[in-house]
Amino acid sequence: MILHSMTLDNFRQYYGHQRLQFARSNKQNVTVIHGVNGAGKTSLFLALNWCLYDEGVDNIGELISKEAIRWAKEEEQVRTSVELTLIHNGERYHVRRTLCGRKEKNGTCEIESKEFIMLRTGADGQSSRVPNPIGTINTILPANARTYFFFDGEKIDNFARPEAAKEVKEAIYLILNLEILKRAKRHLGNVAKDYRSELKLYSDAELNELIENNEKVRAEQEDAKDRHEKIEKETASARKKIEDISAKLRKMEDAKILQQRRDYLEESLQNHRVDLDKVTDQIRDLATGGYFVTAYPAIEKALRILDVKRERGELPSGIRESFIKDLIEQMNCICGRPITDGSPEHNQLLTLLKSQLPSTLENDIINTHADLLLFKEWVERHQQDLDRVRQQRSSLIEAIHSHEAELDEIQHQLKDPSLEKVSELETQRAEFQADIDRYNVDKGKLEERIEILSQETEKLDKQIKQAKKEKRQAKLLEKKMDLAQKAADGIDDMYDRFADEIRQNIEDETRKIFKQLVWKESHFQDVRLDENFNLEVIDRYGTPARPDLSAGERQVLSLSFIAAMSRISDGEAPLVMDTPFGRLSSQHRNNITEYLPDLADQLALFVTDEELRDQARQNLTGRIGAEYRLNFDHDTSCTEIIEDSR
Amino acid sequence: MNEEHRDTVNIDDSVHDIYKRLTEGNDPVDVPFQTMKDVFMWAASLGYQRGKRKPIRGNRRTIFRWAQFSPQTDIPLIKAMAIADSGDVDVLMSQEDVLAAVEEYANAGILSVKSSLLNVNRQNLWNLVELL
Repeated sequence: MILHSMTLDNFRQYYGHQRLQFARSNKQNVTVIHGVNGAGKTSLFLALNWCLYDEGVDNIGELISKEAIRWAKEEEQVRTSVELTLIHNGERYHVRRTLCGRKEKNGTCEIESKEFIMLRTGADGQSSRVPNPIGTINTILPANARTYFFFDGEKIDNFARPEAAKEVKEAIYLILNLEILKRAKRHLGNVAKDYRSELKLYSDAELNELIENNEKVRAEQEDAKDRHEKIEKETASARKKIEDISAKLRKMEDAKILQQRRDYLEESLQNHRVDLDKVTDQIRDLATGGYFVTAYPAIEKALRILDVKRERGELPSGIRESFIKDLIEQMNCICGRPITDGSPEHNQLLTLLKSQLPSTLENDIINTHADLLLFKEWVERHQQDLDRVRQQRSSLIEAIHSHEAELDEIQHQLKDPSLEKVSELETQRAEFQADIDRYNVDKGKLEERIEILSQETEKLDKQIKQAKKEKRQAKLLEKKMDLAQKAADGIDDMYDRFADEIRQNIEDETRKIFKQLVWKESHFQDVRLDENFNLEVIDRYGTPARPDLSAGERQVLSLSFIAAMSRISDGEAPLVMDTPFGRLSSQHRNNITEYLPDLADQLALFVTDEELRDQARQNLTGRIGAEYRLNFDHDTSCTEIIEDSR
Repeated sequence: MNEEHRDTVNIDDSVHDIYKRLTEGNDPVDVPFQTMKDVFMWAASLGYQRGKRKPIRGNRRTIFRWAQFSPQTDIPLIKAMAIADSGDVDVLMSQEDVLAAVEEYANAGILSVKSSLLNVNRQNLWNLVELL
């Protein structure tokens, strides 16, 4: 940032409109503002700080020029403003802070409003308002870094005090933007921490348990299927054995007829059972679809409502709206008689048309009515169909019972001990049949179990899919966490190295500048800025000399440090010094005035005449680009800024 | 009926289990119903027959869509129930109103279905046949 100009309006003792322009060329970069003590140097310094940062003011009520208030009428608005024009990174900015008040009856001024605006002038000369002026000012020169550029010369020995290590460190971090790295590190560290907490919510244990359960259930399912298959084979084998025995019995004289009868009965029984299943299905279809029988009272009631409405003429008796319209249009009855206007027939037709419902509803009612009329027949038919299939079912059940009874009797007869060989075969047959019955029970149980297991695996598969999805999310989260942590660690490492590098650069620069500025150059051998940011001066005996430094020497050391920072920092910055040489001896003044213009991008010195005279004044002569004198008027207690003609 | 209308048929989530119990399985005697639509129609019919109607107060669950109603029997029947319920034909102007009436009958009737079929010590299909 380079200062271009400052305009004051009714600011403290600067009554009216006053302006000064800062020197800013490379060769002549020094602005000198002369003023005796009390002339208003500090007010001018304050104007700069107030305008940019709204700081340094204890009582804003005292900012408005007392002279301006004095001349204002009662209730009249009085305002003060400071406007700064500055150049930063090649762009021109105008910053204006304004305070408005109203003159009270007792002569004081009540502050009513404040305003702060910042404008940026583009390449085309057009100015546009900067939407976030405070943020923008802070990116140009942070508020907490300003004290290192705008400072009171009499208090500048701060950095050279023994307890100043912390301030030195803060200054370096602030001016050289190390704070950004620190913030980035803190932010990334927090992000990594958040990810870690989130990761704790995901657990591999849950997925592993689900997979384990799924494997168990699937193993049981496979086992059940194997057993089912084995039973199927056993059943087929038993059937084969029964078939073999039946074949033998068919050939045996004593059993032949009974076995043939049994063959017939078994086949018939099988057919009856198939028929019974079919009939059961028919009954099921009739029963589940028979709700309209139960709801028939609703159909009857709806039909009654429709009929009543129709009788009252509220519903069309199948007469369509379009038909009535046609008759009215043609004015001819369907029987051929003409219809005259206003006749009873004509009126009847008009009444009918009026009572017509919307055509969509009319259609719906007509169709619904027609549909509902069919239900009566369906209810009757449904009842008949149901009776019929129930009858069929009873007959089939009866036939099945009868067949089973006869088969039982045949078995009993074939087991007759007198029929030795036959009886033996029949006993074996019965045992195989008993096996099949048992197998069927076992198969039924297994099928039921397989079905339950199948539902269980389906459910587990879904849960595993979900858990895997969560695991993928967790992995992603882990990667993000890792990245954030690595970045934070990387910045940490870089931060330390960068900070140390900068510290060493500042140390070198401070040493060079200090040696230029201090008059006992040969007495001081070295300047050090150690790892703990202690600024130290070593004398020719190799011992730390800071405790022995004079106030002026401390001031020179601080100034060297500030100038070093300004040179190391990338951005341009002005050094604005209020009463810079008050405590300095002429040797120091001479050195500073000789070298400082080269060390700073822009220099503004608020001085008394005593501070800048003789050699010091001569040293600056070629470097001064702007010079002003603060002219204090004892009659009005106001100060006028007067440009010195050089 | 209006052009803009809802076409989902809803039940109270709390009775969904009854619908599932009566439709999930292969044995027609134990699980007589093949569709939730038929259970719903039975529930609505029994609700109407017994004069019971109950608004859905819990979470609504869609179990099928309007298109699943048979145009020959189901749609005239639910319209008849709606007309009988409201006493007027205007109800046909709104599919929403027709559905709302039938859903409320079904919401009450499903409990009758449960008590008549599932809570009787006999196979479900024969309990259903007894209702006819």
